Amino acid sequence: MKFGLFYEISVPRPWTNETEKTVYDRCIEQVKLADELGFSNVWAVEHHFLEEYSHCPAPELFLTACAMVTKNIRVGHGIIVCVPEFNHPIKIAERTAVLDLLSGGRLEVGTGRSATWTELGGFRVNPDETKKTWDEIVHCLPKMWTQERYSYQGRSWSMPTRTIIPKPYQKPHPPMWVAVTSPGTEIDAAERGMGSLGLTFGGFKEQEEKVKNYRRIIRNCEPVGEVVNEKVATVNFLFCHEDDAEGVKIGRRLTGSFNYLAAQLVAAREAFPSKSYPSLGLLPSLRQEAAGPGDESGAPEGVAIGNPARIIRALKHWESVGVDHVNFLLNALETVPQEQVLKSLRLFAKEVMPQFKTSGDQAAAAGGR
Amino acid sequence: MPPRFGCLDLNNWAKSIPTIEGYGTEPLTLKGARIVEAHMEIEDDPADALLPKTMHPAVPAYAIFNVTSYPESPFGPFAIAEIRIAGRTGVRPRGHVLRSYVNNEAAAKELAARWGYPVAAGEVSVVLRHDRVIGRASVGGKTVLEIEEIDRDSISGGDIQYIASMHLSRNKGDGKPVLVQVDPEYVFARAERGRPRVVTLDAAAFRADGHLRVTWPIAATYAVADVTLPRLRYVCNPELPALQGTTKVAA
Repeated sequence: MKFGLFYEISVPRPWTNETEKTVYDRCIEQVKLADELGFSNVWAVEHHFLEEYSHCPAPELFLTACAMVTKNIRVGHGIIVCVPEFNHPIKIAERTAVLDLLSGGRLEVGTGRSATWTELGGFRVNPDETKKTWDEIVHCLPKMWTQERYSYQGRSWSMPTRTIIPKPYQKPHPPMWVAVTSPGTEIDAAERGMGSLGLTFGGFKEQEEKVKNYRRIIRNCEPVGEVVNEKVATVNFLFCHEDDAEGVKIGRRLTGSFNYLAAQLVAAREAFPSKSYPSLGLLPSLRQEAAGPGDESGAPEGVAIGNPARIIRALKHWESVGVDHVNFLLNALETVPQEQVLKSLRLFAKEVMPQFKTSGDQAAAAGGR
Repeated sequence: MPPRFGCLDLNNWAKSIPTIEGYGTEPLTLKGARIVEAHMEIEDDPADALLPKTMHPAVPAYAIFNVTSYPESPFGPFAIAEIRIAGRTGVRPRGHVLRSYVNNEAAAKELAARWGYPVAAGEVSVVLRHDRVIGRASVGGKTVLEIEEIDRDSISGGDIQYIASMHLSRNKGDGKPVLVQVDPEYVFARAERGRPRVVTLDAAAFRADGHLRVTWPIAATYAVADVTLPRLRYVCNPELPALQGTTKVAA
């Protein structure tokens, strides 16, 4: 099992230039430490207009900064909104290639389509279309990365023959993932030979079923790219403390802040009824699960908060249901002071990480360089 | 917790709110309701003044324009037209109802007394055409609200998520203002979605003069459904954030 960080970059009001900068600086400090401690990935979301919840509209810039101050940690563009109104497909191919070059072949490419009216409405996107445009773009990207000259005539976008340059550092191209929030999207991932980047963690039993299904379907996939990325990742919260009660208490504060913020956003389905969005997406699921039934400590099942022993138990359980990667949210609204975040990371690396096998170079495993 | 809360002037607003008899309301199922609803983005800062302190504004701010016709009820057929400002009570999506125009006096009386609807008398209708559905409310012959769903397209009733309402009313027991949560249940027979249009909006007629300005269309829906007005479950103190001021009044 591998461990990574997952950034929404939540900034509390008031938004002065100093508060925004401080939050970004702290995130980069955390990533630098995580790299030294042996964490394998840092993922950054792409979100727009999500007040306080996520101030991360340009993850490629944040991830470039991360790559510049780290040596080994892989940088996950997770996810790129594959909707032309948000990101033109040519720009996606170009900027991911540059990020892969700058990071020395450490890029992971997550793909998705946005789940809030806040964002879709802001970019004047028809929610009925996003699943279709996502599918079109993920089939184009590997060709844009690998073919010397490329042309395309499609449904949501087209281009005459041009040379898209540069090409990514990793050959044939970086590993590709799909953000899995709505039920059944793990099947989309499997059918296309892409990694399942879970953004909800659900119950153990539900996750086990999803993983089994994913692994069964991916065996007969028709990959969008030149390599299959058979990986299952989930997201979780992390606060590790020597004292279990204190760890749970502070961890609950973190999950509570995140969930409260998430609830303020307008899910696509709430404002614009569409079969394209059968569920409310990431936000309510995370909220329910992270606030869900727990034991007498108050820690919800499977959430990585508390002392190392408790966190090891939770993560072993995730491992047993087939999860390969767990990506951690470390903060929301700066609820947890930076010193405590860093201390939690150090303790996790010292006490928890050694209890899990990690397997070789992730790029190699993914069929990369 | 996000610091943005509604800033409704409660003292002023509460001068004309209905009195709710109590919280032991029995559910009431109304068959075959025809519901047209338009969602429109609105200017956010002015609209904060239309939400009680209990609620957070939605991001982005939007309003729900709803006109519903009930062909049968214990009080006879009636129709209701209302505007709700979308927000959150704690973590739940809710709409604060500004005013409900009702075209049947007996129905209006029951709606106010049992569920705290902020009722007013008006002529209300839902009109179906092949190219559009029209919801309209008039007072004394003057149209105060007219909305349309145009470019009608069938969808599944399961795709529609109506959010629950919050009614500011006065508790008969202690005489204090209270926000009553009303979350009807729907069993859909038909559903469709189209583009919304607000043809006429007299904001003052909904107590929103100067505070309600429509900016962008989102979507409109039309549905035929059996609607169950529920047993009341939660009430909130309108002067406190929902996390501090919510009371469960029934299981």
